[in-house]
Amino acid sequence: MTKEEQLEFKTLVLPHLEELHRVAYHLCNVRYNAEDLVMEAIVKACENFHTLREKTKIKHWLLRILSNTFISTYRAQKNVRMIEYTETSNDDDDTFSLFAELSQPFLLWWGNPERELVNKLMDEEIQKAISELPLDFRIAVVLCDVDGLSYDEISKMIDVPIGTVRSRIARGRSLLQKKLYHYAQDLGLTHAKRHTHEKAEELHTEHKL
Amino acid sequence: MKKPKNSIQNISCEEAIQRIFPYIDNYLQGKSRTELEHHLETCRHCFDRVEFEKLLKARLRNLHAQKKSDLLEKKIEELVDRF
Repeated sequence: MTKEEQLEFKTLVLPHLEELHRVAYHLCNVRYNAEDLVMEAIVKACENFHTLREKTKIKHWLLRILSNTFISTYRAQKNVRMIEYTETSNDDDDTFSLFAELSQPFLLWWGNPERELVNKLMDEEIQKAISELPLDFRIAVVLCDVDGLSYDEISKMIDVPIGTVRSRIARGRSLLQKKLYHYAQDLGLTHAKRHTHEKAEELHTEHKL
Repeated sequence: MKKPKNSIQNISCEEAIQRIFPYIDNYLQGKSRTELEHHLETCRHCFDRVEFEKLLKARLRNLHAQKKSDLLEKKIEELVDRF
């Protein structure tokens, strides 16, 4: 790279560093790995800077490099937990819903246990659940929910059809909700459901008496 | 008797649930979106589900991330200077 190119690269890339790090952090869930991943992506970006035609799209270009670097470099690493999956898997993970599991529409006056759960879960628990998602689902969920990108942007970024992006986001979210439900159970945060059930039964019995 | 052009087709809760994620992601458009919104006006359960999914999405969007180290930017500048 010439001095001018180096300067141009820094001017274009550094303003996106915080966002690149944030996405990397949620993909890796360990700060050291996140910075390592950002550095590796920057090396690739330097090597391929001359191929970037539209400079206004640099953020998406960088995120694409970051995602691909994450997939290729980290797939083989032992400290990144991998769960294999198939696109056509049919288990109940695909349809799990925290709302369906926790909502108590007939007990509206006692609050919303599903909403309370979301508010009670710590960021660390949610991050851990994200980090345990299968790789492709994790990338789709992080880019869509954490980074706020559209289906179209994600599709172009990771080079898969929009239908696949949509399916990965839906399945990633279902899996994530299942993991959050299990954390909540372990932490005793799902007592509200049993509690409200008990209350309902007590009231029902009192009413009959 | 012909159906009026602008009539909105009623969809089931199962069909509505299939459309919830693309709806909250602002991907669902046109007739599919209108049908879902019409369903949400009349189905409290699906309406609550949409509100819950929006809440969870917002929770993820606002997840705290550890700050990058102060050295990262410097390391990147040095790296670029070597290219």
